[in-house]
Amino acid sequence: MHKEGVKSFPYFLGVNSLAEMATKEDTVCVLNILGNESRTVTPVSHEFSGQNIVFGTGPGKSGQKLETKAGPIPVYNSIKEGMEAGHKFNTLVVYLPPSGVKDGVAEAVRFNPDLKKVVILTEKVAVSDSRTIRAICQTNGVDVFGANCLGIADAWNNVRIGGALGGSNPKESLVKGSVALFSNSGNFTTTIAVYLLTQGWGTTTSLSSGKDVYIHYGPAEFFHALDNDDRSTSAVIYVEPGGYYEHDLNITKPTVACIVGRWKARLSKACGHAGSLAGSGDDAKAKEKWFMDYFGVKDIYTPENPVVSKKGAVVVNIAYIPEALSAVQKLNGIDSDFAPRGDLSLKCWFSSTAGYKLPKELDVQPIKAISPYGEQIEVISRQKGAQLPRQTMKDTSGASMMDPKTQVSKIHGLSILEASKRTLEENLVFSLLKEYPDAYGKRLANIALNSFVNHNNDISLIAANAARENGNSPNTVLSAAVAIVGKGKVKDSIATTKILIDKFQHTGLVNPSEDFDYSGILKELTDDNKAALSYPNPCARGIMLKDALEGMDRPSVFVNFVIEAADGKPSSSALLAAIWTTLAWNAYMTKDISKATLTTLSWHSRIFSTMVGCSVAEKKHTDTSFCGIDNKELVADWGFTETAFLALIGRKPTDDELFEFSMLLGLIITNGPGTISAQGAKGGVSADGPAETERVQINKAMIGFMTHTGFAHGGNGYEAIAFLIERFKEEGLKDPASSKHGLDLKAISSKYADWYKAYKAEQKSIGNIEYKKIPCVNHPIFKGKPVNYDPRERFVTELFEEKGIYNIFLDFYSNLVNSLFESKVTKDVYCVNIDAVIAVILLKIVWKPFIEGTISDEEVETAAFTTFLFGRMLGCAAEVDDHTNRGRNMDTRTAASKCLYVR
Amino acid sequence: MQLTGLLWGQKLLKKVDYPVAKVLGPEASVDEIKELINDCGAVFIKPIFKGGVGKKGKSGLIGRATDITHALEEKERLYFAEHVVGNECAKADGVTFEGSVPAEHEIYFSISDSTQYRAPMMTITHHGGVDIEELPPEKIQEVPFDPLTGLKSYHVLNALEALGAPKALISPLVQNLPKLWTLYNNYGMNMLELNPIRMSPNKKGRLTPVACDFKGSFDQDDPAWTRLDLPSHLFASDYSEFEQEINQLRTYQGQSDVFVINPKGTITAPTFGGGANALVTELLGEKATISSDFGGNPPYAKMNDISRIVFKYWLKQSNVLFIIGGKANNTDIYETFRAMADALRSHFQEYGPTPLFVVVGRGGPNLIRGLNYMKDTLDQLKLPYKIFGHDSAMSEVVNYAHRADEWMAKEGAAMMEKKMTGATPEMASV
Repeated sequence: MHKEGVKSFPYFLGVNSLAEMATKEDTVCVLNILGNESRTVTPVSHEFSGQNIVFGTGPGKSGQKLETKAGPIPVYNSIKEGMEAGHKFNTLVVYLPPSGVKDGVAEAVRFNPDLKKVVILTEKVAVSDSRTIRAICQTNGVDVFGANCLGIADAWNNVRIGGALGGSNPKESLVKGSVALFSNSGNFTTTIAVYLLTQGWGTTTSLSSGKDVYIHYGPAEFFHALDNDDRSTSAVIYVEPGGYYEHDLNITKPTVACIVGRWKARLSKACGHAGSLAGSGDDAKAKEKWFMDYFGVKDIYTPENPVVSKKGAVVVNIAYIPEALSAVQKLNGIDSDFAPRGDLSLKCWFSSTAGYKLPKELDVQPIKAISPYGEQIEVISRQKGAQLPRQTMKDTSGASMMDPKTQVSKIHGLSILEASKRTLEENLVFSLLKEYPDAYGKRLANIALNSFVNHNNDISLIAANAARENGNSPNTVLSAAVAIVGKGKVKDSIATTKILIDKFQHTGLVNPSEDFDYSGILKELTDDNKAALSYPNPCARGIMLKDALEGMDRPSVFVNFVIEAADGKPSSSALLAAIWTTLAWNAYMTKDISKATLTTLSWHSRIFSTMVGCSVAEKKHTDTSFCGIDNKELVADWGFTETAFLALIGRKPTDDELFEFSMLLGLIITNGPGTISAQGAKGGVSADGPAETERVQINKAMIGFMTHTGFAHGGNGYEAIAFLIERFKEEGLKDPASSKHGLDLKAISSKYADWYKAYKAEQKSIGNIEYKKIPCVNHPIFKGKPVNYDPRERFVTELFEEKGIYNIFLDFYSNLVNSLFESKVTKDVYCVNIDAVIAVILLKIVWKPFIEGTISDEEVETAAFTTFLFGRMLGCAAEVDDHTNRGRNMDTRTAASKCLYVR
Repeated sequence: MQLTGLLWGQKLLKKVDYPVAKVLGPEASVDEIKELINDCGAVFIKPIFKGGVGKKGKSGLIGRATDITHALEEKERLYFAEHVVGNECAKADGVTFEGSVPAEHEIYFSISDSTQYRAPMMTITHHGGVDIEELPPEKIQEVPFDPLTGLKSYHVLNALEALGAPKALISPLVQNLPKLWTLYNNYGMNMLELNPIRMSPNKKGRLTPVACDFKGSFDQDDPAWTRLDLPSHLFASDYSEFEQEINQLRTYQGQSDVFVINPKGTITAPTFGGGANALVTELLGEKATISSDFGGNPPYAKMNDISRIVFKYWLKQSNVLFIIGGKANNTDIYETFRAMADALRSHFQEYGPTPLFVVVGRGGPNLIRGLNYMKDTLDQLKLPYKIFGHDSAMSEVVNYAHRADEWMAKEGAAMMEKKMTGATPEMASV
């Protein structure tokens, strides 16, 4: 049962010509007009088509409007209500969810006798609904397009009905011409239209048919309408496997058919287009054959084998459509519609090799993109520095992670085992810039850090001293000092960095250690700019810094610029900013770090210097020296690792000691965001509200880190040291670095194991399960095998062996775990864990002064705790910076519902 | 979503009171099987395959037994039988015992949605029991009918008369076959096939059309099939673990259709649009891990979830992450690329960096913002990439992805691995 339409069809067909399909006379009602998809698409259609949409519906949304540049579109609860308000329409566009589509169409058919066309955009309409929709519309003489289509567009009439053919700028793709388009793919309808431009072909009517099981308006109807359309001299049809829609077609105008999907013969379920699943005899190969028969060609068209007839050509790649069409039309004596626009060659718009050497054929160079994209890229590329998405960073970090399997932590993706091969200053730069400095950068970092270590007459030192004298632990002492390094203390450095960023980021400067002409920028500087870079009074630290920097064999553009801008009298703050801007420039330009990070590097630097400097008693800071080392020498020649060693031990380290000390600091950089020190740092940032990065007080966040260390976290390394001292203090050990120590380690460990066995038995017998445990043996993960190892300890031990470095305490620990097993204290050979490694390195360093009585037990304990703070300050600085860049305000809080009350 | 065999078929047929052969499942006891043999004279032993597996008889995968010993032997032979059709290999898990139905006539009957007539269509012949494709057209009747009124007795009657079917067949078929439209139309089916229906005489000689095999497929987009309360595992074997996880995200807004092409592939290509899906999968061939269509303007959260799942399953083995689509009409490039870039970043954070060459080809609304977001992320992850505009031929971009894959396999991946593990952390310097 169907109404009579075009007579030659055994079912109803209303549209007789493509020219009638989408016209200025069509008036449209859009169902679910305020839905997500329609809301963005419909206004563009309305504006492009000259206000063809009369109203839309949205249950419960009556009275609302969809605003468009061409005026608002009224919204009603239902079609009935819209029509009662006086609106008339002949075309229905459906954006309803799948379950509502059938009812929506039925409603339109029921209430609007003028209805002629229905365009269904909705995907995943049930087959049973599709067959009902078809039956309703056939009975009532309504043409249906879709479902799961992108509607119809007419480049001659400038009308688009339903969907988004041509995207947000239809005129860019839908250019008036002579080719009619039919495509199973909505996206390819536009893509093919764009491709056709490259051979000078424009379009008449473009139809996205959809590729559901039911294609309501199929190729047979299309070719009939094409035949009656005088504007169209040819057609392009894109089809996929599945269905007999293309069987027995009557094609009268030159046509290129593109059939894609031979591989789909392997599918047992639909992927993408629901109807694109071939049964028997309707796969891609069969369809290729149908079209080859229509056109009288023997083969598929390719550029190498350009098989065409006057009737048409078959391609299997959409890229060949334009040239195949040109070849067909050449045989018909028809020229293209206009001069070719663009071409289909590879055009790279963005490119990076990430530092890898690519072979020539892969290293395609970026070119300027076509308008308007090229201009947009230019604008967007002016944004420098990383911009990271904000998210809740509670227990989450973009700086560190711990692999729960290996227990090896990583900082910026680099294992701390690898990081431990680097010096403190290298890791310090890495923790903030995510890249290691070269020798030049390392030198710059040392100058920056060492310049601010001496705190003679500085209030930070006075605060630290006061805290120390009142019996506080090292973390509390250093917190007092760092509290003074507030934003006010670094405001000039921050101001300088901002000036440098502002003046240089768009100049094309790539490497600030190479020559660069900044004379023009100098001339642009205002008096205020210059004032921010210089110091009104003689500045000893500034002079010292300037001398050290000028003594380097390579210049820094930023340092030279600051010196010149300050008329040769730069402030130390400005030079500090210039150094860090030099160090960070590459990371900033490659968007590894944000502007907020670059701006605050000097602040971090001052905090590092303060922590190392103020860990030393007041008397060791003088006008001219720090711990007896001349200021100038310290700044010009010392590495920051050496300075940190000096601060702890009071002397310069040997090469081996430097290696071991660096390794020690490297191993404790981080243990992931779950550690309480990291949590303290992150909480400090979160509470300030990182959404406004300038409000984050970095020194306060670092105090958060330090307040979250203590005798149990950071200070506990001393337990193992005390244990070892107990074992060795009576043994007459002189040099723990010498393997010729003359001690019988096996005997010492066996003696202890036997004692421990008896002690443990005794404690158990009296019911004391809180008996003391041996520090630094065993691990909750690395256990259960006959012989167990902590891989981190193995890494360090092997590295020491490789370098010929001996540590008697580490040797003792290896003996101890075996003795404990032999004495049956343990059921297998426990591992020596990473904490032992940290303890033995430190004890080895302090052993001599300790036995000589120049440092006390308490000082050893302070040194152990402070060492932890020196190492962990890097990891926590990285967390502070990461949380500042990614976090949300107060994101570390725990929901009240997840908190427990106990009594 | 296909279902074959009588084990579940009988439950469906009973919903519409359609006669069906007696069936026992794999759990049947020896006594029950003996009783079935006694009742029916013989039993057919058929392996249970999940999904749609045809042509079992031709492959020798149907056993027939008239005594319990032979029945149990066949059970043992067929319980875990493998059946290869084309590229697909199905493995059985259990057998059914189906009572033999003595009959002179075998009928083929099916209902499907015909793309030729764009209407539901009945296909019928009384020369059943064979592959329908093997019969000449004059022995088959294809009858499209109006879905609003459904399959009626007169459709069946006219078809059988046109075929010249024996008169004895007509009445029982006319009475029973229209019931199957109810099953088809009310439970979201898009194919139902009974082959054979055996015309079994009762004591008075009157024939009953007994269904002796069942094949059906359900429309994934029609929730009506859920009314049947079929256990979800029946369809689960259609999909890999990955497909199951990702298909949970299947909603009408934004597709999330995937199909595993090669579990050992080296190019993972999130593809946007059905057309791009067809073209790209064709050109990637065996190099592709998955074929996908993530078009339809998915919102950020959905695209992010999809990407996380895709990356979790496939990134580790992939040389190339290939994000490809044409010039989108409506899919917001900024939203979708931001979602993918964030998922990639999260993946690297969770699983550590993995060597990867990223190739992108895309056009559409908010294009440059989207591409730039991806670019920034890739820069931060230190991955090499090439991003092409929509004015590059998609096939050329696919060819480029192939070349990138070859280079990665040859040396690129090893080079990246070395740098990423920090074995020689020669990072860029000022």
